[in-house]
This record gives sequence, C-alpha cells and structure tokens, in this order.
Amino acid sequence: MHPALHSYIVGETTYSDGEVIIEEGSQGSWVYVILEGSAKVKKRTPKGMITIDILREGGVFGEMVFLEGGKSARSASIVAAEGQVRVGLLDTQKLIDDYEALPSELKTLIGSLMVKLRNTTSKVCSIITAK
Amino acid sequence: MKKDTEQIRKKKVLTYEKGELIIKQGDYGISIYKILSGRVKIFRTYDGVEVPLATLERGSIIGEMAFLNKDADVRSASARALEDSELEVWHPRDLVEKYAKTSIVLKIIIDQALSRLSRINRFMDQLAVKKREEVSQPKGKEDPWSSTREFYRKGVDIACQYKPAHGGKGSSAPLTGRIKDISMGGMCLEVLPRNESATSHEVGKTFHIDAVLPNGQDLNVTAEIVSVTKRPSAVRLGMKFKELPDYYGTKKTLGFFLMPT
Repeated sequence: MHPALHSYIVGETTYSDGEVIIEEGSQGSWVYVILEGSAKVKKRTPKGMITIDILREGGVFGEMVFLEGGKSARSASIVAAEGQVRVGLLDTQKLIDDYEALPSELKTLIGSLMVKLRNTTSKVCSIITAK
Repeated sequence: MKKDTEQIRKKKVLTYEKGELIIKQGDYGISIYKILSGRVKIFRTYDGVEVPLATLERGSIIGEMAFLNKDADVRSASARALEDSELEVWHPRDLVEKYAKTSIVLKIIIDQALSRLSRINRFMDQLAVKKREEVSQPKGKEDPWSSTREFYRKGVDIACQYKPAHGGKGSSAPLTGRIKDISMGGMCLEVLPRNESATSHEVGKTFHIDAVLPNGQDLNVTAEIVSVTKRPSAVRLGMKFKELPDYYGTKKTLGFFLMPT
C-alpha cells in the first residue's frame, strides 16, 4: 500500500467474514481502504447478489460517491471476505481539500470516469443476469 | 485532423459526420472531447467482435481514460459519430500539468477506478465473444469446449490469485496468474516465470486459487500441480482440483459456468 494512503487514515475498523461494510443503495460518502484481508464487491440483481470484484490490501472503496459529490447512493455492497478484514477510514476533509483544489476541467473528467464506471458495471450485471 | 488540433492550445470545435470515427481504439492520443451536439457510440473491438460500451450524448466527455491513465496513452475504446455531431476538443497539455500537481492519494484512488473500469471493459469483451460463440454454435453442432475428456474443457482467460496451500517459506502475499483452461477436474494456470522467485511450482505442490468467473461467481479452490511446462515468457501449470468444497457451492458454480449453453 502506498505510504501516502497511510497518512490519510483517521480510523480503523475490523469486520468479520460476511459482514457488510457498505450497503448498496445506502447513503454515505466515507472512503475506505483495505489494510488487511479482502472484501467482495457485490451488486444486487433480479437473480440475487453477484460478486463483481474482489478488493485486497491497499484497495480503496467508497470513492465513487465521494468523487461524484457525495449525493448519490452507494452503487454496490462491500462485504468482508475470507475471515477478518481490517479497514481504514480515510480523512474526508483532506480528500475534499484535494478534490476542491482541482481545476473544474479535471473534476469534469473524474466525474465522467465515475459515470462510466457506474454505467458499465450496471451493464455487465444486466448482461450476466439476462441469461 | 486530430494532429492539427493538438497544436492549438485553446478549446476547438470539430464537426463529425454521421458514421465518422472520432477515436480509434489502440491509437495514441490523450486529447479530451466534449460532445456539444449529436450522439456518439463508444465501442471496443475484440477478436473481431464489436463490443458496444455506451452511447453518449450532449455534455458527455470522451477520452478521459487515456488522459488520466499514467500507464497508457492509447485509446481503450473507439468512438464513432452516430449522427452529425459537434465536439469540443480540449488540448491536454495544460491539464497534464495541472493533473501532475494533484494529490497522490487522489491519483491512487483514480488509478484504481481506472483499472477497475478497464477490467470491466475487458470482461465485456469476453461476454461478447462468448455470446457470439453461442449464436454461431446451434445445437447439434460440435461444441467448442467439449473434448474426449469427461467434462467440458473451456478455453478461458481469467485473472486469478494464488498462494501456496500450506504457507511455507517466503511471503504469503498472493501471486497472480491467468486461468487458461478449466474443467470440473482441473485447470491450466499460466504464471510469469518471475513468480518462481516467490514460490516453487513443482509437481505435487498445492495452491489455493481465487478468481471470479465470467458469470460473476467466485471460484475458490485448492489444486495440485500435476504438470509444469516452462517457456521463456510463461510457465504453464497443469493442475488438478483437490478440494471443491461444497459449502461454497463451487461444484455447482463451476458446473454452471462450464455448461455449453
């Protein structure tokens, strides 16, 4: 994990296997990083929950809502996998300061990236579950 | 056309006729386009199949992936005008300087988002190819995955992580490899020769393998190496599954994934 990330950690929580760290559809704009262990990124579909990604040490999650301005709902659930997962909470104020320092064009680009990530993820889920 | 506009530092408006290619996948370029009017189709081409990713309209941005990605300045997808369209081109030079000053943490987060999106896009490629195979293989014809073996063998290319099943010396950080072939009984795992420095790949060794199958299901298995083929660029491990723990529903998952239709 990059040392710069460490300097942003303001808190730590440990979750046990299967515990939900972020719930899809809920509100919240905290950004987290996995310090130890792994977590699954899951999405709700008409055919049940499917795992779309696995996050490991150094993996950041919760960033989509933050980078979209904190207004949208969580796009996926994050569930602790394989035993205990230690998760670090990133300093929201520092992240906001960093984000606000960006010129508007860069904010637009990042926003566009998030939209594509959100849309493409939904599209993949619908293709998978269409069968 | 693009070359000329990149000489000019200010934003410039270009017009594209219906059907014209705006960006070609694999080309170099980090200019950014904003759609002022019209509609643009974003697609990837993989193994001869066109994989549609999105249709973008007024206000949407095209080209930010190549710009934000420090490791690649080639276009990850193509963009074609679906109707006569007007696009504003942003010269990237000023933005590159500004982005260089962005906080490291923000860049780490953006890099992860980029690689996630790239991975999903590649996954879309696989889904599209699979769909084509299904369409072109009507029932009754020879199935491409079947073989003389007991179960379907499926040529795949799935990224996975693996680590020695019994700890052992060295770091316990998982190594990465690619599953190239998979059946109910085993798989072929291709790894980089440099992984050998972290763990030995000898016949008889067992590993835990962790992957997400193209159908979205997790695969967590333990497998034993039964053959090793070394090439300069890659090591191919023939592996036999030792345990398919049923409480994970692995057998069902694998069986479903390996079904030919």
